[in-house]
Amino acid sequence: MHPLLRVNGLRRSFDGVFAVREVDLEVPRGELRAVIGPNGAGKSTLFNLIGGQLRPDGGEVVYDGDRIDRWPSHRRARAGIGVVFQGARVFRGMTVLENVMVGAHGVTRSGFLGAVTRAPRHRREEREILGTARECLARTGLSAWADRAVDALPLGQQRGVQLARALCGRPRLLLLDEPASGLRAAERAELAALVENLRTDGLTVLLVEHDVAFVSRLADRVTVLDLGQVIAEGTPTQVRADERVIAAYLGAEVSA
Amino acid sequence: MRTTALVLAAAAAALALPVVLDGRQLGIYVLAGLAAMVTVGLALLMGFAGQISLGQASFYAIGAYTAGLLTVNGVPPLLGLAAAPVLAAGFAAVVGIGLLRLRGHYLAFATLAMQLILLSVLAQSEWAGGAIGLQGIPRLSVGGIELDEDVHYAYLVLAGLTGTLLVARNLVASRVGRGLRALATSEVAAGASGVPVGRYRLGVFALSAAFAGLAGGIYAFYLGYLGPGSFPVLLSVEYVVMAVVGGLGTVSGGVVGAVAIVLLVQVLNDIGTRPGMPSYAPSVLSYAVYGLLLVIAVLYLPRGLVPALSRRDRS
Ligand SMILES: Nc1ncnc2c1ncn2[C@@H]1O[C@H](COP(=O)(O)OP(=O)(O)OP(=O)(O)O)[C@@H](O)[C@H]1O
Ligand SMILES: [Mg+2]
Repeated sequence: MHPLLRVNGLRRSFDGVFAVREVDLEVPRGELRAVIGPNGAGKSTLFNLIGGQLRPDGGEVVYDGDRIDRWPSHRRARAGIGVVFQGARVFRGMTVLENVMVGAHGVTRSGFLGAVTRAPRHRREEREILGTARECLARTGLSAWADRAVDALPLGQQRGVQLARALCGRPRLLLLDEPASGLRAAERAELAALVENLRTDGLTVLLVEHDVAFVSRLADRVTVLDLGQVIAEGTPTQVRADERVIAAYLGAEVSA
Repeated sequence: MRTTALVLAAAAAALALPVVLDGRQLGIYVLAGLAAMVTVGLALLMGFAGQISLGQASFYAIGAYTAGLLTVNGVPPLLGLAAAPVLAAGFAAVVGIGLLRLRGHYLAFATLAMQLILLSVLAQSEWAGGAIGLQGIPRLSVGGIELDEDVHYAYLVLAGLTGTLLVARNLVASRVGRGLRALATSEVAAGASGVPVGRYRLGVFALSAAFAGLAGGIYAFYLGYLGPGSFPVLLSVEYVVMAVVGGLGTVSGGVVGAVAIVLLVQVLNDIGTRPGMPSYAPSVLSYAVYGLLLVIAVLYLPRGLVPALSRRDRS
């Protein structure tokens, strides 16, 4: 069976400077893959190329057998790619619950006419969306915040809202860009348990994280990026022993 | 609870007013209602798609001319009225494909240009009555009953506005509406959540045009005469001011803004047409006050009257 995600020779530059260059990546179904690397290594750029927020200059992204690198992001969401951004990309002015309900967009269909006429099918779907959103909030431990304005939440919790929103779209591939930053130790442990759970459910997860301990405990395999290139790949133990990784990444961490 | 009471009170007032108003005031009522229909759509567009249209009066004009031309050429008036929003929305969908790629100021300029082009085409087209305009539009008749008094049109406008508000309210509270509100604050996150950003933006643009087109259709039957001069650029500016003052991204803001500005314009007209005032006084005064209102609204009420008032209500 083909891997869920395959990236071939992916390239993307900004103003002539490569952020991602000739990246190859294969992620089998059900794997939890960590992507690590120093600041500016190109991790978020790689995620944006997979999620559809950016178009590549070259190379290909194949998801579940489809070449998706020219698809708009909403089509990729529909196909089952869920995203949690590094920044607090929430929908200001809406409640936490409404934010999460938006996540169901890709897996629901009622449109303009149904909404305006309040057709029974539309009302039924609204109830379903509400139910799913509440489940996702419960799963991310945010139920108590459901009716609060999302702007009122601390940044770490806003990322939790993004995670709940992504789960509401029933993803098969989840891209998590530094989901633990801004969380306290206890919250990190909860997040780790949740991610573990999601993997048990069969989700394939791509995780960017600076906290090496956090990554080592969770990840099946680790891909290390530096200056836009893959410099190592393997199990957490293998990668931590890799000299280039120590020099490029862990070295930077130690000296920082 | 308090909101429900307010809405009921406003509805009761709107229902009772046509009976008690005199002829001139009824005219103001009709114009305010029509402006409110246009503004409700524009507030959706500006609030949810984050787009400023300086050409919203074009869709009003298209609706008016559609209804007028069809009925003058023998189409039943009700059919002409129904065609008005459809054609306006279709036109918006076609130009929107190109225009909505533009952001911010560019879209404002492009929609302004669209209106100028439309006005000059209308003024030069024989079939549309040219610069003189379209005369002798029959009055609307529904089921054999001819609407020939201003009171009838006041209620017709009220019905149109109610329909517009219901559509807007149901939409905002729905899946599509959540998608629209989401894309207004973060296109990137909305797209990643499965919201087809471009299509939705085009959709609100067309919807706002449909509201304006319907209002224009009613206007054609109400006045019985149309000319390019009935749809000046100032009218488009007026709608933007109404939407901003009332509150973008709210459903009732359009109504509040429209009523407030129409009443204000009446006051200004009274002042501007006093004996001794130069002939250009009314238009200079309106432009000055619109400019001033926009600045004040942006500085002190960035989200408009309705959100400001309801926030106070909550705290
Ligand atoms: N939109 C952009 N415009 C210009 N340059 C960009 C843009 N996005 C990223 N870059 C550049 O591309 C490089 C890779 O950035 P990227 O955000 O992918 O790194 P990262 O590995 O996610 O870093 P961090 O750990 O700090 O999040 C950096 O040099 C960055 O400055
Ligand atoms: Mg990053």
